Amino acid sequence: MRNSMRGVLGVVMAMAAVPALAADGKAVYEGNCIACHASGVAGAPKLGDAAAWGPRVKGGTAALYQSALKGKGGMPAKGGNAKLSDTDVKAAVDFMVAQAGGKADKAAEKPAEKAPEKPAAAGGGGEGKDVFDKACVACHGSGVAGAPKLGDAAAWGPRVKGGTAALYQSALKGKGGMPAKGGNPTLSDAQVKAAVDFMVAQAGGGAKPAEKAAAAPATEPAKPAAPAAEKPSAPAAEPAKPSAPAAAAAARPAAAEPISSSEVNTFNRLLRPASKRNLPAMESGIHDPANDGTALLQPPLQAFNNLPRSTAGTYVNWVQALEQNKIAPRYDKADPKAQPVVMDLNIVREVKGSMPDVVYPHKQHTEWLDCSNCHPAIFIPQKGANQISMAAIMLGEKCGVCHGKVAFPISECRLCHSKKKDLPTQTGAAK
Amino acid sequence: MALAAAVAALLLPVPDSHAEYGDVVINNYSDAAGMRPVVFPHWFHRVRFRCKVCHADLGFKFQAGGNQINMVKIIDGEYCGACHNGEIAWSVENCNLCHSGKPGTPTQVHEATIQRLVAPGSKPPAAPSAAPAAGKTAPAAGKPAAGK
Repeated sequence: MRNSMRGVLGVVMAMAAVPALAADGKAVYEGNCIACHASGVAGAPKLGDAAAWGPRVKGGTAALYQSALKGKGGMPAKGGNAKLSDTDVKAAVDFMVAQAGGKADKAAEKPAEKAPEKPAAAGGGGEGKDVFDKACVACHGSGVAGAPKLGDAAAWGPRVKGGTAALYQSALKGKGGMPAKGGNPTLSDAQVKAAVDFMVAQAGGGAKPAEKAAAAPATEPAKPAAPAAEKPSAPAAEPAKPSAPAAAAAARPAAAEPISSSEVNTFNRLLRPASKRNLPAMESGIHDPANDGTALLQPPLQAFNNLPRSTAGTYVNWVQALEQNKIAPRYDKADPKAQPVVMDLNIVREVKGSMPDVVYPHKQHTEWLDCSNCHPAIFIPQKGANQISMAAIMLGEKCGVCHGKVAFPISECRLCHSKKKDLPTQTGAAK
Repeated sequence: MALAAAVAALLLPVPDSHAEYGDVVINNYSDAAGMRPVVFPHWFHRVRFRCKVCHADLGFKFQAGGNQINMVKIIDGEYCGACHNGEIAWSVENCNLCHSGKPGTPTQVHEATIQRLVAPGSKPPAAPSAAPAAGKTAPAAGKPAAGK
């Protein structure tokens, strides 16, 4: 929470603190860099965050210029906008460096400056292209961080199939590498949606080569990421305003066609199908397939092949795997013969409501864990001293320190709630 | 990249990545240092070691990103370096075997309940408020005042 405050403050202060000589850099920043450097997404140092910028600035401005121009880590070359000149990029770097150094004294101007910024930006609520050029281009222009590139129908197709509402949601709330509102909280919801519409339209429009070719000569030459961007603007005098909604409207029915009802109505469509379980690292979605080490990692299925399976988590029943000696995990990092100190003591916890009581087996836990892992930090070793609720567990406390992260997840109710209790109403009637 | 994005996108309503349950992404310093974030596969290690070895003997806290691990500590034999020293397990020169995550992936326990409940889909949206610092502070939404 505090971080967000600081983030917003940083942005606002940044807007306030504009040394006259850096005006050029500020404009470039707001047009491009802001998408990542305002929120600090993808490891980008935040504007005005002296702590983050300090070590970078120490490395020398030349090194910073170099990183900005050629790219480094998550930073694409020229921030992903090849249209920028070297001078522009350097000016933006200078601006950000200046902000990191001289932000403290400008806090007072914050409220005064905030007001004009928003209406100015919100003025053209439907100008998807403008919003795109301002905020989204940094990632969606180059496809950095897994972002689908503008006009890349193959990348956008499956997303568009999911429905525009889902896309709006992802854009507004964030998803995967995509930060909420593209990392620019000053954008209104309408602006974000307009930008989504614009990008969707581009993805659909990109599929029509004839139109694209016709429009290409009319547009300015250096527009690699958005070849069809100016398509309707050539005949119409106004630039992007009519283009986004019109094209989006055209794109929506087109996108609806490819969804077959069998796809939409698949059984358990929100559950992970068996074919998507235990995928190798190359297809895991969090490993980088471009990394040469990724291909060397052991595929989970290779390891799980002979292990007893379960229905959740890793889909391996680890307790059984250990009981049946299918695996022999060491109890000491170096000594393969060390044996665990197993304690066989069941703790029964009576629970409210109709759920069966919980039986906690020390045995299965001490096979894996040391007493000190749980006691006394997580569980006070005393009967009745621990308040445990499913809410706490879901929030990662108590049992939830492991269950729901690495031990079997809480969807497996009956593995814990395993002791049938006599329900008073039934037994009263029966006896 | 485009292929991976397309593969990920095919699954849309379902969470867009499907790494193993319990895989931990550690991105305390990696992005800032221009390295890929670390992906720690719990499953691989629990086939070979009991929880106690790392979480009691080696002092790993039960918290993604909560251990402030850096390469100096590893080289000095702490944390991962207790085993990844060329004797028990392969040594630190194999950078890319650990540093194998997609750049920009925030610190998280992949598929953790909290992640699925608080932020269906993925981590960063969990707290748009916390997102700016997601790379720095550990699992922002993951451990709200867990009292640990």
